[in-house]
Amino acid sequence: MQTPLARPKRRLFIWAVSVPLVIYIALFFYWPLGYNVMISFAKTNLMTTFQWTGFSNYVSLFQSDLFRGSLWNNIQYLLILVIGGIVTSIIIAELISLCTRVWKRVFTFMFFTPVVTSMVASALIWKLLYFPKTGLFSQVSNFLGFGPQTFLYDPRIALICIIIFDIWKDTGLRVVILLAALDQVPDTLFEAADLDGASEWSKFFRIKLPLIFPQIFFLMVIYSINALRVFTQIFMLTDYPGGGPGTSTYVLNLLMYHQSFRKTTFGIGASTATVIFILLFIFVLMQIRLNMRRSQT
Amino acid sequence: MRATITSYHRRRLAYRIILYIILGIGGFIMIYPFLWMIINSFRSNFNLMTAPLTIFDPEASLENYVMAFGRLKLGRAFLNSVIVSAVITVFVLFTSSISGFLFAKFRFKGKEALFMYVLGTLMAPIYVILIPLFRLVNAMGLLDTLAAIFVPFLIHAFGIFLMRQFIAGIPDSLIDAARIDGASDFGIYVRLILPLTMPALSVLGILIFLWSWDELLWPLVVVHSDASKTIPVWLTVFTQAEAKLPGPSLAASTVVIIPVLIVYFFFQRNFIKGMTMTGLKY
Repeated sequence: MQTPLARPKRRLFIWAVSVPLVIYIALFFYWPLGYNVMISFAKTNLMTTFQWTGFSNYVSLFQSDLFRGSLWNNIQYLLILVIGGIVTSIIIAELISLCTRVWKRVFTFMFFTPVVTSMVASALIWKLLYFPKTGLFSQVSNFLGFGPQTFLYDPRIALICIIIFDIWKDTGLRVVILLAALDQVPDTLFEAADLDGASEWSKFFRIKLPLIFPQIFFLMVIYSINALRVFTQIFMLTDYPGGGPGTSTYVLNLLMYHQSFRKTTFGIGASTATVIFILLFIFVLMQIRLNMRRSQT
Repeated sequence: MRATITSYHRRRLAYRIILYIILGIGGFIMIYPFLWMIINSFRSNFNLMTAPLTIFDPEASLENYVMAFGRLKLGRAFLNSVIVSAVITVFVLFTSSISGFLFAKFRFKGKEALFMYVLGTLMAPIYVILIPLFRLVNAMGLLDTLAAIFVPFLIHAFGIFLMRQFIAGIPDSLIDAARIDGASDFGIYVRLILPLTMPALSVLGILIFLWSWDELLWPLVVVHSDASKTIPVWLTVFTQAEAKLPGPSLAASTVVIIPVLIVYFFFQRNFIKGMTMTGLKY
C-alpha cells in the first residue's frame, strides 16, 4: 500500500478528482433533491410566481381521485409485474436449464433480444400489434373465438395489456439471472434426492427453489422499483398525452409529468415526486445493499 | 425388461420434444414482434393495416424509409441520439474509472464519507429530481440544446462503484513498480489502469450506451425543436402527430433497433454480463 503521507503530486491527484466529484454531485443531485422537497411546499410556476403554501399540495394530492387512482395503478402494476414476471421467468429458466449447451445459448439469445432493444421502439411495435380490429392480437383473439378486442382502448384491460408488454420485454433478463443461479445448484444434491426417491416436482420445490431464492428476492426488489417508476411504457402505448383511455392507466410518474410540464403546477408535481421518492426509498436501499453484495462475490 | 427400457426412453424423448416445442414457441414470441416490424416497415400503410400478417407483399418498397429520412428528418434525430449517447458513455467511463482508481488505491481522510456521498445518488432516480434539474438546466441557458440532455448525467455512481471493485483487484505491486519508474498518478491512470480495466469498461460502456440511447422522459422535458430531438423523442412526437402513418414509424423503429441488434449479436456475452450484474435500468 501507499504511505499515507502522500507526496505533493499524489495530493494533487486526490484533490483533482474528488473536488470536481463533490461539486458536480452536489449541483446535479443533492441540490435538486432538496429543492424538490422545498417547492413541494409551495405554489410555483418556476419562473414568476412563488408562494409558500405549507402542506396544501400534499393535502390536495391525497384528496384527488387521480392521485389515488395513479397510486393504485402503480400498486397493481407492481404486484402483477413482480408475481407474473417472476413466475413465468422461473418456469422458462428451469425449462432452458434442461436443454443441451447449444440450445441453451440459442434460447437465451432469443429471450434476451427484447431486453437489449429500445423500450420506445418495442412499445411502438406492440401498440400496432394491439391495434383494435386489424391488429395481430385482435385477429388472434377473434380467431380463438373471443371476438375482436380493443385492448389498449378498453379501460378495463388497458393496464394489464401494458404490463404484459413489460413482462415480455424483460423476461430474458430475469431468465438469465435465474439460469445462472440454477447452474450453481450442485448436482450432488440431486443424486442424494434421487437415492431417497424424490419426485421431479419435489426436487424442484424443495431443493432448487430455496437455493435460488436469493436471486428471486433480488428480482422482486428490482422489479418493484421498475414498477414504481414506470413511465415510458405507458406514455408510448397509450394515446397522447398518455394515461388513457380516460385516466385508467395513469401512474405516479405520468401524473407528475402532467402536473409539472403540461399544467405548469410545479409545486404539486414536486409533491408527487416526493411521494414517489418515499415509496421508492426502502426498495432502493435494499437494491443498493444487494448490488454491493452481488458484485463482491 | 427390454420393453420397459425402450418405453422409458421413448417417454424421455417425448418430454424432450415437448420441451423444445414450448421453448421454441416462447422464443418465437420474443423475436416475432421484431420480424413483424422489419417486414412491415417495407409495406404501405394501407396494406399493413388491412393485412398485417402478410409476409411477402408484392408492393413492398422503401417508401417508408424515404419518408422517415426525408420529410420527417429522422437522420437528424439519429445523429443527435448518437452524439448524446456517445458523450454520456465516454464521460461516464472516464469519471467512473478515475474515481474508481481514487477510491481503490488511495488513502486519504474522508474517503469513506466521500464514497457514501457518491453512492447516495443511487437513492433517487431522475424522476424524483426532474423539476429541479429542469430549472437548473434552464438557468444554465441550455434548454433545447443537446448539452441539456447530457450535462446532468456525466457521472454514474454504479459505474464508480463497479470500477472501484475492479481496480481493487489490480495488484498494488504493479502500481508501485510504475511509481518507482517515476510515473505520476495521472500517468499511472492513463498507462496502467485504463488498459487493465478494459474488460470492465466495455461492459459498463454497453450498459451506459443502452440506457442513454433509450432515455425518453428527460429529453422530452428539455428539448422541443427538431434540431435537438433524440430518437425516442422523435418517435413519441411522430406517433402523436401522425398516428395514421404506422409505416414510417415502423421504418424508424427498425433504424433504431437494428444497430443495437447487430452489436448485441457480436457481443452477446458482454451485454448479458453487464445487464445481469446490475439488473438496473436507466
